[in-house]
Amino acid sequence: MAWRLFLRNVRGMYRQTFLGLFWAFLPPIANTAVWIFLRQQGVFDTGEMSVNATLYILTGMILWQSFADALQMPLKIFNQNKSMISKLRFSREALIMLGIGEGFFNLAIRMLLLIPAFLWFGVSLSWTLLLVPLTIILMVLWATAIGLLLMPLGALYQDVGRFLQLAIPFWMIITPIIYVAPDTFPGSLLVWLNPASPLLLLSRDLMLVGGSSFWVPALLVGVLAVPMFLLGLVIFRISIPVLVERMST
Amino acid sequence: MIHSATSNEDEIVLDVDHVWKIYCRNLKRSMRYGVQDLSREIFGKGRDRTQSDLRPGEFCAVKDAHFQVRSGECVGMLGPNGAGKSSMLKMINGLIKPDSGSITIRGSVGAMIELGTGFNPVLSGRENIYINGSILGISKSEIDAKFEKVVEFAELGHVIDSPIMTYSTGMKMRLGFSIGANLRPKLLLIDEVLAVGDVGFRMKCFAHLRKLVEEGVSIILVTHAVSMLNRVATRSIVFHHGSIIHDGDLETGCVVYEETMGASDRVGNQGNSQAQASTTGVSIASVEVVDEHGNANKEFETGQDVVIKVEVKADRAAEDLNLVAALWSPVHGRIASMSTASQHVQFGAVKDSTVTVTLRFEKVALLLGAYHFNLSLYGPVSTDFHHRVSGIGNFRIVGPPTCSLGRGIDGILKIDHQWKID
Repeated sequence: MAWRLFLRNVRGMYRQTFLGLFWAFLPPIANTAVWIFLRQQGVFDTGEMSVNATLYILTGMILWQSFADALQMPLKIFNQNKSMISKLRFSREALIMLGIGEGFFNLAIRMLLLIPAFLWFGVSLSWTLLLVPLTIILMVLWATAIGLLLMPLGALYQDVGRFLQLAIPFWMIITPIIYVAPDTFPGSLLVWLNPASPLLLLSRDLMLVGGSSFWVPALLVGVLAVPMFLLGLVIFRISIPVLVERMST
Repeated sequence: MIHSATSNEDEIVLDVDHVWKIYCRNLKRSMRYGVQDLSREIFGKGRDRTQSDLRPGEFCAVKDAHFQVRSGECVGMLGPNGAGKSSMLKMINGLIKPDSGSITIRGSVGAMIELGTGFNPVLSGRENIYINGSILGISKSEIDAKFEKVVEFAELGHVIDSPIMTYSTGMKMRLGFSIGANLRPKLLLIDEVLAVGDVGFRMKCFAHLRKLVEEGVSIILVTHAVSMLNRVATRSIVFHHGSIIHDGDLETGCVVYEETMGASDRVGNQGNSQAQASTTGVSIASVEVVDEHGNANKEFETGQDVVIKVEVKADRAAEDLNLVAALWSPVHGRIASMSTASQHVQFGAVKDSTVTVTLRFEKVALLLGAYHFNLSLYGPVSTDFHHRVSGIGNFRIVGPPTCSLGRGIDGILKIDHQWKID
């Protein structure tokens, strides 16, 4: 069922647009362009980068976009499918699988941007690239788990959704995407205390550098990702009848 | 608790056992209670609440509902808006949980609640058949096999490859019904979706439902279109203010439903009647409905005698009184009006006396339905008003069954008539 809904959404997604898939590429390109421009104007200091800054920021932006999408997905998918959830009985987990599938589909499209970028900047491919799908999957599951835990409260109180919309741009700033992660205290807290950082930074390093200094925090988060995701699914499942009931009154 | 039983030893498909459902109308409180209920559910504390455990702002949407549905039975679920029908249906469908009691279902449940839910407007009818089917739990191979039948049933072969957004509302509903009609559950729930398409298509839907019932599928049908029910249902359950007030034959259920429809304003029990206080000392003291033997009765069949006894009480002497009786149906409005003056029946009362006025309907021509009277008492002229009581003397005609399929009589009145072929 999740597959059918996925096909429905993907087929319907760009059918009524003129530019089609270009809309999937636009956000990371636009974001990267803005940050590169600001960096060139000396508005902020990115720190010493071992690879080209454009490639570094573009890769970070693509990964961040996936993290942010996965985090907001459970609440978004609940709100989008309220009518179906309150009227039809079907496997509700299929909606989460659908959301994850759509997230990976969008990520895959954005990743296509990296092929010309890698060629242009002459990035040498490392064997660590093979680990990237795993780290990205763990990152998406981790973000989805946080989203699933927030979803029940967010479905009752719109404050949660509004707070997320407000917080995510700030969260992006405190995640070392457009600058090099500080390795000294207290700057290093941006990696250790920020749930978005470890797997995202590890994935980027494995893609661009071939090695990383984020193995330990990433491993800690990575180990937690799957059980947290399963716990999130259980809570999602338990909460749906209560939420449907509150939508009925 | 909602159980799903697999045993086939009994023909009971659905067992609703003393179910309660509690809601809150205040939005802020409802959200707060939602958080409380969520934490209770997450920590496995569950819930078991009835009327005595209501939190501030809460009310019982369903009160102690208790009934069973057997295999191959079609039950019409009736009741005014807010009576608890849809909440009951949602609980049976597993969308929400009862606050107390249990629901046991033997076999699969299918539901046609809102047709076309899940359609994507920019995709074609063809694509949406596959998507909607999978949401309803029909596999792709099953849809492949039934695709032509679905399109043919919906009568949409000519537009099946056009986007759904170009369909009319009726076309979308026809497609939705057609997909749902291919479900073969043990219990089918249908909520107000039979106003689909034109009369011809509606007849086709009813024929299809009758076929399902013959095949042993149990159906629960929620509708306000009572006249359509006897095309397929044989039993009715009537909800009123969250409680089941009738569970039995369809005809009586329809009549009880008619009464509940009028209960809020025009009629109900004797206690619900509305009387204007008499300022002249001459008033209608009581009204009683009796049968031909003088026994108090509320239920009659078409063709029986219905007798209304009205007691007029006079605290002072009054002459040339005129009692006007208007016969009402909660559904159809005023049926007829009659008065003692119209038949030159003169009556009066001496001081501190009571006079009984009898109104007899011999071989009453009324058909199935609920009826009541609005009574007015006048003096010799119509400006000489004494007293009025509305919604009183209520009675039901509970048989024989009518037929809306064009194979019997139907409507409000049985009118003597003869057909002749030349």
